[in-house]
Amino acid sequence: MQQGNKRFFPQKVALAIFVSFLLTLSLMVTRVSAHKVNVFAWVEGDTVFVEGYYSGNKKAQNSLVEVFDKAGAKLLEGKTNEKGEFSFKPPEKTELRIVLTAGAGHKNDFVISANDFGEVETPSAGLPSKPQEDRTYPATITAEPHQLEEMIDRALDRKLAPVIRLIRETRREGPTLSEIVGGIGYIFRLFGVAIYFSNRKKGTGRKAQGARNKEKGGTNG
Amino acid sequence: MHISEGVLSAPVLITGAALTAAGLAVGLRKMDNEDIPRVAVLTSAFFVASLIRIPLGPSSVHLVLNGLLGLVLGWAAFPAILVGLTLQALIFQFGGLTTLGVNTFIMAAPAILCYYLFARGINQRHSGAAMALAFGCGFLSVLISALIVATSLIFTGESFLEAAKLIVLAHLPVMVLEGFVAAFCLAFIMKVKPELLGATHAAG
Repeated sequence: MQQGNKRFFPQKVALAIFVSFLLTLSLMVTRVSAHKVNVFAWVEGDTVFVEGYYSGNKKAQNSLVEVFDKAGAKLLEGKTNEKGEFSFKPPEKTELRIVLTAGAGHKNDFVISANDFGEVETPSAGLPSKPQEDRTYPATITAEPHQLEEMIDRALDRKLAPVIRLIRETRREGPTLSEIVGGIGYIFRLFGVAIYFSNRKKGTGRKAQGARNKEKGGTNG
Repeated sequence: MHISEGVLSAPVLITGAALTAAGLAVGLRKMDNEDIPRVAVLTSAFFVASLIRIPLGPSSVHLVLNGLLGLVLGWAAFPAILVGLTLQALIFQFGGLTTLGVNTFIMAAPAILCYYLFARGINQRHSGAAMALAFGCGFLSVLISALIVATSLIFTGESFLEAAKLIVLAHLPVMVLEGFVAAFCLAFIMKVKPELLGATHAAG
């Protein structure tokens, strides 16, 4: 048997090397690899911005974005650009579910609630659309309620932009050290419990064996 | 390698779960009392490997380590990978709970395959040849995992060839890296703690 193995294994090595060479030669381009795709969406004015990214802050380029309404009917679809971004003007300001499919088994979704859109009823009806710099307000503002509301909305969009950016950036952070260490802790606890139970089970049948293992566990812990 | 929730259809998920359950049963039966600490150590290695991203060119990759797990643990790779993936799903939302069966099979099946292909050969060899075999083991296990992912994606409408090409391409650097990691881990284990390799092989 040993003789057979000795003749057999060099062939497998040769095959493995051959296959790896073949693959390296034929496939030269590498694509973004990751294990989780995230999607984040936010509202600015009347436009919804969608951003797709993998763990480790890699953009999800050219990924399918589908937008569904509350009832699950598909409203529209599109593809992310090379920055992993996609934007659209929603046909109605209701709850939206945005699904990003990045291929190779990666998929995630994000829900925008109706509240995110604010309550603007008549968009930019009678408001002066001058650039922000030379917009001057009189000492006493006389504006229709909806105009006022829109002005506030616009100001809030501007003021909140850095906050939204901050949230976007925080969300894409990878696992933290404490989470990793905690996970390892769970694993050892779990296997510790496994040892405990398997020792108890074997304790009656193989007393000597069980006692020996227990001793071992005792000195280690 | 981690397929997200909501991508696969129910039959694929159920098939994956059934295969994993079968592998798990074999793995638990073959697992001895003295194997448990070793399984725990390699489970945590597997758990951590997926979380540490290694920047490589324009993107980043992470190790899977399933080849190494197969090599050292044999059938016990099934419980090890299942535990690792469960914690990754619960703590980091990698993969998901419904895809746990499929994902476990994706990573554990190549581990078992590599165990049968390489483990006995490695045991009988000196360090040089053994390292070469371990390289093949690490390389091949990721390749086979990628092919299983592509197979399970057929039923979602992605064509096998297209998906396989994309996934294999993406994991090519991982395969090479994995090969080296497996080779050096093995060399280290052989030097420092050769009995790590011995026990399961005698049992399996």
